[in-house]
Amino acid sequence: MSFREKSAWIILVTLIVITSAYMTHMQQPWTLAPDPSPFMFYTLVHAVILYVIVVTVAHIVIGVRAPREARAPKDERERLISLRATAVSAYVYAILSMASIFTIHFGANQFGIGYLVLLSFVVAEVVNYAVRIYYYRRG
Amino acid sequence: MGKTSIENRIRRLRFDHGEMTQQALAERVGVTRQTINAIELGKYSPSLEVAFRIARVFGVGLEEVFSYPEDGAGAGRGG
Repeated sequence: MSFREKSAWIILVTLIVITSAYMTHMQQPWTLAPDPSPFMFYTLVHAVILYVIVVTVAHIVIGVRAPREARAPKDERERLISLRATAVSAYVYAILSMASIFTIHFGANQFGIGYLVLLSFVVAEVVNYAVRIYYYRRG
Repeated sequence: MGKTSIENRIRRLRFDHGEMTQQALAERVGVTRQTINAIELGKYSPSLEVAFRIARVFGVGLEEVFSYPEDGAGAGRGG
């Protein structure tokens, strides 16, 4: 498995695990979010910091094991994979974030919408890295 | 990226050049081993520049490395 595929797996799994834990920890964040509280703020900050730490440490580990590959710039196939994945995830983000805004007509408050937009971003990133992995494995 | 219509003789040429590894070829061409593998298996069509670099490593012309069969026209999407 190439360095970039490992990197994509790390980001994908970390995103899913930390976002799932975060969303489970929060109480119904999509429509019934309570007033913003220090608890909500710090939970979000902790989730972001945890994500950055896990992804950074994991990349250091795989980078140490394959230093030349980690330093090498993307070649043309990797750039193409990256572009295709980003194109797909951009559509996902556009559709989901627009849908998030429409939830205001179904009783969502501004905090609920904020969480849905955040969730849209995470889902788009999950799609982005899942598409990359698909193309890396396909050849 | 899928299967392309472009055929290649990279495996044969590597064998003829002292069983050159995909990694060694990749380093000389300036791409990853995975990209050489994808090209060799016909799953990725390289750019013209990379195709020329591969041919240059083996010291042969482009058409001795890559070929496009008559009945393959339009069958694959490449990329």
